Amino acid sequence: MPLKKVIETKKLSRVFKNGEIEVHALTDVDMVIEEGEFVAIMGASGSGKSTLLHIIGCLDRATSGEYDLDGVRVNTLNKNQLADVRNQKIGFIFQSYNLLSRTTALENVELPLIYDRTGRFSNSKELAKKALEQVDLADRIYHKTNELSGGQQQRVAIARALVNNPALILADEPTGNLDSKASIDIADLFVQLNNKGKTIVMITHEPEIAQFAKRMLYLRDGRIISDKIIENRSTKAFAMKELEKPITP
Amino acid sequence: MRRFLKIFKVAFKSINKNRTRSLLTMLGIIIGVAAVIMTISAGEGATLQVENQISGLGTNLLMIQTKSEHKAGINVRMGRPIDEKDFDMLQKNSVWMPQLSPLVAIGAQAIGPSGYKSTMVYGVSYDYFYITSRAIESGSFFTEDDVRTAKKYCVIGETIREELFPGEDPIGQQIRIDKVPFTVIGLLTEEGSGGMQDMDDIIIAPYTTVQNRLYGHQRGYTMIMASALSEDHIADAEMEATELLRESHKIKDEDEDDFEIMTQIELQEITGNITGILTILLGAVASISLLVGGIGIMNIMLVSVTERTREIGTRLAIGARESDILTQFLIEAVVLSLVGGLLGVLFGIIGNQIIYKATSFYIPTAIYSILIGFGFAAFVGVTFGYFPARKAAKLNPIDALRYE
Ligand SMILES: Nc1ncnc2c1ncn2[C@@H]1O[C@H](COP(=O)(O)OP(=O)(O)OP(=O)(O)O)[C@@H](O)[C@H]1O
Ligand SMILES: [Mg+2]
Repeated sequence: MPLKKVIETKKLSRVFKNGEIEVHALTDVDMVIEEGEFVAIMGASGSGKSTLLHIIGCLDRATSGEYDLDGVRVNTLNKNQLADVRNQKIGFIFQSYNLLSRTTALENVELPLIYDRTGRFSNSKELAKKALEQVDLADRIYHKTNELSGGQQQRVAIARALVNNPALILADEPTGNLDSKASIDIADLFVQLNNKGKTIVMITHEPEIAQFAKRMLYLRDGRIISDKIIENRSTKAFAMKELEKPITP
Repeated sequence: MRRFLKIFKVAFKSINKNRTRSLLTMLGIIIGVAAVIMTISAGEGATLQVENQISGLGTNLLMIQTKSEHKAGINVRMGRPIDEKDFDMLQKNSVWMPQLSPLVAIGAQAIGPSGYKSTMVYGVSYDYFYITSRAIESGSFFTEDDVRTAKKYCVIGETIREELFPGEDPIGQQIRIDKVPFTVIGLLTEEGSGGMQDMDDIIIAPYTTVQNRLYGHQRGYTMIMASALSEDHIADAEMEATELLRESHKIKDEDEDDFEIMTQIELQEITGNITGILTILLGAVASISLLVGGIGIMNIMLVSVTERTREIGTRLAIGARESDILTQFLIEAVVLSLVGGLLGVLFGIIGNQIIYKATSFYIPTAIYSILIGFGFAAFVGVTFGYFPARKAAKLNPIDALRYE
């Protein structure tokens, strides 16, 4: 049975123009990601990882090329339609969390539901609580952003990305600001979500975090130079043990 | 509608979460609006008061004075003084001025049984009361006979009574004006203190008495006051007085008058000019306070633009439409301006009342000042609250998130 394609791009390119200078951040990216995949994107700094994820997440537009998301031709949509796609189909997780300050975890998680136009959610508070339970923050729902640790803030951001039940979860260096232990917890959380059927695309610089995924894309100078299935995936237990190993000189 | 309610809640939460910023923004609006209301109203109050004072000076009034010239800011009397001869001549020959009174004004110290006060003593004839339309509260005016025989009678204003006879009936009592004993025979009806000049801080006595007893050996009168037959005849009266005085002063055709005549109409014109200038000045002060309030708000808004742009980026990233953001920020701006504007109006009115209570300078709160103040609040609120947000909401979500 052929799996449903969640992402399909053809010759996707992104050129930044800064006066005279042109930066080719992405060049002719062809990529297919199917339902239920867990993809890690790696590559050197400046290789175009974030640019690619932003375009996939409809936060930015490609300069040229085609992009289908969940069967919708995204590159022809107007601004409002793109906003609705972001609201209904995508949960985006940032390295710097991007939570609203002075706002409780619950209110932050509720936010995507406020902008929902389909009317498919009846009790946004309950849904937000459930999402926070999923990320193991049931006891922190009334804490404000500044009263949470970095790992907890990232989990609030993940709950926010989950709450509208999106087809796709995108994460740009979700563990970039966290220590190893918190990073492993987040990676494990992604594995659990993936096991429940969520499609996940995650950028990371850390090979041991990438190892939790099922598939790895490697970018260089705006092109995909390698695409392989990850064998012997990491688990939380394994990564924790590795962590405790004494550093051999 | 449900959407609007949701966004409305978002806007209120946002105002509440950024309480300091909200309060500072409102403070700018409050100060601006209150300042506009108070300055404009003060200008209106001053104009009203001056107008009242002028019409309170008398009916169809003419004042005939020696010519004076401004020299280094001081009035210097130039011509021959207006005196008894001029007065008698005018009284005998004038057709258009049925009421005429000399006025001899001196500053003097008045001492009563339980107090004293420095005040103005006006020596006048009986007609003065008609010309200035001042009424008697108790007792009576002095008569023409009293004037002819230079009786040491006087009529006092309410302010003098309060100082010299606190809680007493002054009629029939003795006071000393620069050591000369006078009998109080009348109390003037209160005019209400007019802020700039207290119309009740006055003692009126026969001019003959004042000239003989208080005025020393100066010649002439301070002025002659006259009342024209009617308002339509003020100009006729002025012309008549000019001709009669030129003739009796033997002024050649080519020479200028050695006296000057001020009519109530001219007085109104002059003060109209003055209050006009006053209003312009106050208007300038008001615009400056508006500017200051506006700059304050602008500062707060600009400082918060970075934070807010990232907030807008976050909201866009999770699926808010541009219109959702605009609605939220418009509601925030309108609510802040509205509340700030209302508080500003309230403080403006209270400020006017405080000034009134403290100085008894009556300030009517001008309706149009409230409108101007409110217009300003709306303009500033929308300009500085809404337009930066509009700019941010038009960005790509990722550009808004990266804004620095
Ligand atoms: N708004 C922009 N304007 C101009 N150039 C840009 C812009 N955004 C990204 N770039 C350029 O595009 C290229 C790719 O950037 P991108 O952020 O995608 O890299 P990245 O792989 O995510 O790097 P990192 O690992 O450091 O996050 C870089 O050379 C960068 O300078
Ligand atoms: Mg990046």
